[in-house]
Amino acid sequence: MLQSSKILGVVSAVALALGLGTNNAHALGAPAGTVINNTAEVNYTVGTVNTTASSNLVSVTVAEILDVVVTAQTPTVAVNAGDTQQEVRYRVTNTGNGSETFRLVMTSVLAGDQFDPTPATPSIYFDTDASGDLSPGDTPYVVGSNDPVLSADGFVTVLVVNDIPAGVVDTNVGITRLTADSRTGTGAPGTTFAGAGAGGVDAVVGTTGADSEADSNYVVSGVSLAATKSQAVVDQFGGTRPVPGARINYSVVVNVTGSGTAANAVFADNIPANTTYVPGTLRLNTAVLSDGVDADAGDYAATPTARVRVALGSLTTASGPQTVTFAVTIN
Amino acid sequence: MNKASKILILAAIAACGLSSQAFAQDKGCIVLKSVAEVEEVTVDAKGEKSTKLVPAAKVVPGVEVTWTITANNICKQPSDKVTINNAVPEHMTYVANSASGPGTDISYSLDGKIFGAAEQLTVQENGAARKARADEYRHIRWVFKNSLLPGTQGYARFRAVLN
Repeated sequence: MLQSSKILGVVSAVALALGLGTNNAHALGAPAGTVINNTAEVNYTVGTVNTTASSNLVSVTVAEILDVVVTAQTPTVAVNAGDTQQEVRYRVTNTGNGSETFRLVMTSVLAGDQFDPTPATPSIYFDTDASGDLSPGDTPYVVGSNDPVLSADGFVTVLVVNDIPAGVVDTNVGITRLTADSRTGTGAPGTTFAGAGAGGVDAVVGTTGADSEADSNYVVSGVSLAATKSQAVVDQFGGTRPVPGARINYSVVVNVTGSGTAANAVFADNIPANTTYVPGTLRLNTAVLSDGVDADAGDYAATPTARVRVALGSLTTASGPQTVTFAVTIN
Repeated sequence: MNKASKILILAAIAACGLSSQAFAQDKGCIVLKSVAEVEEVTVDAKGEKSTKLVPAAKVVPGVEVTWTITANNICKQPSDKVTINNAVPEHMTYVANSASGPGTDISYSLDGKIFGAAEQLTVQENGAARKARADEYRHIRWVFKNSLLPGTQGYARFRAVLN
């Protein structure tokens, strides 16, 4: 007699603390507006008299260089057909030498993929709470209203959010792109915007062209777990009759199919009514699991409902079938 | 001040060998001028490029600035042992081998105290001495081999990149 078992799949999110901050890498340039003063000195002798004199003061002012870099921090994200509110994460860094305002634009209509993700509304957020993912504390980006202002070396973490259309199949890829450009101006490196820089100095477009973009891939990664349960009855007389006192040995095989990963999969099964769990019989593959809650993968609990539970870890097809066994006696 | 003191002072001045004319001249014999310039590339109608130096006012990081120092002797006597010193400007890095000056011996310093030729300067790193790199020089010195004759000009030049 086969019984379906309950399998819980829990996806754990790795949260990285990110937000408005500065890189360790030093961006190009003395700060825009810096005035560099220099004086030369001469020392000489006329007859027996030694004299030192200075030159005029020469001042050079540092112009602003406009540069920005967008990097994709989650270049590949696993999704399923029909998933909504799927975010990808980017970092936008001001690699110039002066404070600058940037405009952000996203697009999911790109060539080179099998489907176009559907931009959510809103489609761009700041990772305001620095959780690394889309969460209630994040502020939506509104172009022209809260364009990020970044100091030299400063960065901001941005989330781009799309829905995955139905009808896509395993291994299909959909690309989404974030572009950032400097509000002072963009163009060929060396293009000068006179007086438009921070503090009124000239602003000159740097090697990035003062704009940058990065792509992220949504990859449809179906994964499914199927559990097949079998039982063998051994009665106390050496036979197989399901009488009170007889033992039922259960074996559940969990199979993984698909290209994705079932992260932190958990197998749980209630002890059938009118039976009692036989202590110490829980096994995962060849490992004996103790009944108590401890460092190993499994445990048995009598309340509120008697059940066994085994953590299977993150499973892919490469993990192979997972076998859980346990025994009960018929009351 | 009484008359006796005045005479003493005048005598002291005469003993120093200072003529009243030289004493009154605040400027000294060498007028030193410094100029910062950048290279400007112009392409003419034929598409030919030419470069010239133009004054540097606002400079973008990564650009090379050429510093030129001229020394003019405005006196009737020659100036001896003429030495020009220039610190590498703040936020700038000296461009290796860019220092020049006709008739001068050029030396460098990391700290402004010890000067030496490029090959002589060393830096302590991880407990061992190694040759200093050109980008570590913070001072440049030009020592004129000959006296600067009256009415003549000497010059020194170097380049530095804006960080």
